[in-house]
Amino acid sequence: MDLIAPASRAELAAALRAASAAGRRLLPVGGRTHLAKGNPARVDAALTVTALDRLVEHTPAEMIAVVEAGMRCAALDGLLAEHGQEWPVDAPEGATVGGVVAAAASSPRRLRVGPVRDSVLEVELVTGDGREVRGGARTVKNVSGYDLPRLVTGSLGTLGVIAQVALKLRPRPRARRSLLAPGGLEAAAALLAAVPGPTAVLATRDRVELRLEGWPEDVAGQTELARGAVGGVEILDDAPFPSLVPWDGWPVVVEAAVPPSRLPHLVEAAGDAWAALVGVGVCWAGLPAGGTALAELRQRADELGGVAPVVRGDGGLGGTLPAPAVHRRLKQAFDPAGILAPGRFWGEL
Amino acid sequence: MKSDQGSQRIWRRRPPSVSVEQLARRDLERVLGPDAVVADPLGRALYGRDASMLEGACALVAFPRNRDQVEACLEVAAAYDLPVVPRGSGTGLAGGATPIGDALVVVTTKMDRVIEIRVADRLAWVEPGVLNLDLNQRLAPLGLTFAPDPSSQQTSSIGGNVATNAGGPHCLAYGITSNHVLAVELVLPSGEVVVLGSEAPEAPGLDLRGLVVGSEGTLGVVTAVCVRLTPLPPAVRTLLAGFGSVADAAATVTAVIGDGITPAAMELMDSRAIAVIEPFAQAGYPTDAAAVLLVEVDGLPGGVAAEAARIEELARANHADSVQSARDEAQRARLWKGRKSALGAVAVIAPHYYLHDTVVPRSRLAEVLALVDEIVARHDLVAVNMFHAGDGNLHPLLVFDRGIPGTLERVLAASDEIVRVCLDAGGSLSGEHGIGLEKRDLMPLAFAAEDLAAQDCTRAAFDPERRMNPQKVLPAGARCGDFALARVGELQQAVARLPEGSWI
Repeated sequence: MDLIAPASRAELAAALRAASAAGRRLLPVGGRTHLAKGNPARVDAALTVTALDRLVEHTPAEMIAVVEAGMRCAALDGLLAEHGQEWPVDAPEGATVGGVVAAAASSPRRLRVGPVRDSVLEVELVTGDGREVRGGARTVKNVSGYDLPRLVTGSLGTLGVIAQVALKLRPRPRARRSLLAPGGLEAAAALLAAVPGPTAVLATRDRVELRLEGWPEDVAGQTELARGAVGGVEILDDAPFPSLVPWDGWPVVVEAAVPPSRLPHLVEAAGDAWAALVGVGVCWAGLPAGGTALAELRQRADELGGVAPVVRGDGGLGGTLPAPAVHRRLKQAFDPAGILAPGRFWGEL
Repeated sequence: MKSDQGSQRIWRRRPPSVSVEQLARRDLERVLGPDAVVADPLGRALYGRDASMLEGACALVAFPRNRDQVEACLEVAAAYDLPVVPRGSGTGLAGGATPIGDALVVVTTKMDRVIEIRVADRLAWVEPGVLNLDLNQRLAPLGLTFAPDPSSQQTSSIGGNVATNAGGPHCLAYGITSNHVLAVELVLPSGEVVVLGSEAPEAPGLDLRGLVVGSEGTLGVVTAVCVRLTPLPPAVRTLLAGFGSVADAAATVTAVIGDGITPAAMELMDSRAIAVIEPFAQAGYPTDAAAVLLVEVDGLPGGVAAEAARIEELARANHADSVQSARDEAQRARLWKGRKSALGAVAVIAPHYYLHDTVVPRSRLAEVLALVDEIVARHDLVAVNMFHAGDGNLHPLLVFDRGIPGTLERVLAASDEIVRVCLDAGGSLSGEHGIGLEKRDLMPLAFAAEDLAAQDCTRAAFDPERRMNPQKVLPAGARCGDFALARVGELQQAVARLPEGSWI
């Protein structure tokens, strides 16, 4: 597939204007780490903004970074680490800032750090027909018109190409520790009840991983409370999170989301290779390619009021689009020629 | 319930000599009951304004009790082409609920049930008329809270909090309303009911929920809200630091944030604020200070102790004359009572006030505050400052007596300059009150024409007929592509109908 790689904002806008005029369908890509999230798109070429990769502004005392979309998350993290700060998304190697925002790929630590959509304060977008649009503001609070940053977060490149974002940062935790223990969802629930303020509680079929981050004395206190709640606790200091990744190596990986209390019902339909964020309601499950496993898991997620999009391998998003007429009008307004990843979005928009 | 019965109950043909308002009123009374529709001049005048300084006018006021009745309101409005202005408690300060033209005001205060609280899912479904503080009082025994705590929380409703993406002191650590709304049930202007967002952490489609939060009643009427519940923190420390200058207090704010500490709240009050608060609330604020900072840290005990100590250190390094820490819950409550009663207490200075709401970068607080001071002095006005300093959310409060000729003009001129210096410093137009009517025509200062057109398209995606809360949020020039051609003439007429003096 052809790859269009504009070297500037002006070139990006020109490329989109030309593609709209010619009806040339484009798949916006960043680091290509989240491309499996989405239904199959019918496109003629890919478009990448990895050349737009500057850190535009970072005043450490503001806890805000303004970043071009093509910047790699790892590069941003390195720059922020020098100031004891982070944009907490824990993206895979190679992922770009714009790609993570477009895919709304939240951190597994979201119990504490929140979903990625809460961290995008301002967005600069080039629409399908090449118009440059800005929404939001470079302040931590802002109510001025419609929240375009939230509209764009998770839009999977179907409304426009993200050129730049302003991100709300967090202080980097002073201490980080994972506790591993035997037991599945029940042990995880016991830990969630006993330990205040964890960063994540991850349960698998037979193990549990409790993530603790913050002041060293609090992490020590939390560790003691965890030991009182479950037996066989093993401590991993300064390890990456998560260390339990049972879905790894499976051809299809689903990232299901259900109301948190319904996880036990969801995992009944998730096979053996699953890991669930207790207290959040996210569950990753590794599935075989083909067969009925995906359909069964999707049906269960649907019954429980959730969704089960595939994030690796084939299978697309599933789910039912609410307010389809509103969605269609938004798509029409931002991408009037319908050239941006047609078919990729929920409802095959 | 919706379309079939709806078309039966709505009279579409108007006999001569009967006004549209009379017909709409009759249809509404048939569905809602006669006591739930107000059409008399006094009632309409009461609902012709909100807590802003703006006055408007409306044709009818309806008080639906449930979602079906809201649907009926929107169907009646559609049938008679009445604009619809949703309204909660009317505590909004930007004129978002001030009706313009012959609007139907849909008041959601009678929809005040807490539908369900699900502790295991840390969520609650509530109707829009539930008051913020009432919900929080229900939640406290469960060890949970709905985090947004606007100063109006005793009287403001959850529906209104959603409409303005409300803030409050504790948004510094916990985030704005949008971070705490999982889903909304919305009646679209077409009468269709949709649920946007999800009880689950992710939902299919675009984040339409995120658009509805902060949309100031322009996308539909919210009939139920699924709010996220946050556990109350295990440990809390509340500090009060007194300073010899506002600049030192502001510098402390910048230093604390820059040190990697995000307090739960960090509020700045200047000497004028202290002077009115202290006699009223006996909060224990140092009356000789030029400014105080009220800082709260919460979380786990170790971090709370460490952060409180560090904040005291930073305050002293920035020349704090005194730092006190609340010894117990009673003292903590007193310190907060001072902050929360400040707005009421200013009535002792002058009968009227104009409360601003802008945001500036937190590293430029001292500089912008000095500019604001200069503007206020030049216009021979008095400003009281008490605001969410940690967020950079300024609330200069201009106090005045509008009975004195020329005063209001000076207030408005100064206000305009204040907004401009905040934007010039890289700030935003509003932190938590919204745009409404008050700042609608300032939007082009913050956004380019293309940005506003995109916002208008976003609005039109929900409301192609442009029935919801017309003339709010976006200035008349912001039009979405083809929509502009058909409607521009009508809009000009509508603007010409703006009641005389409606900017007061």
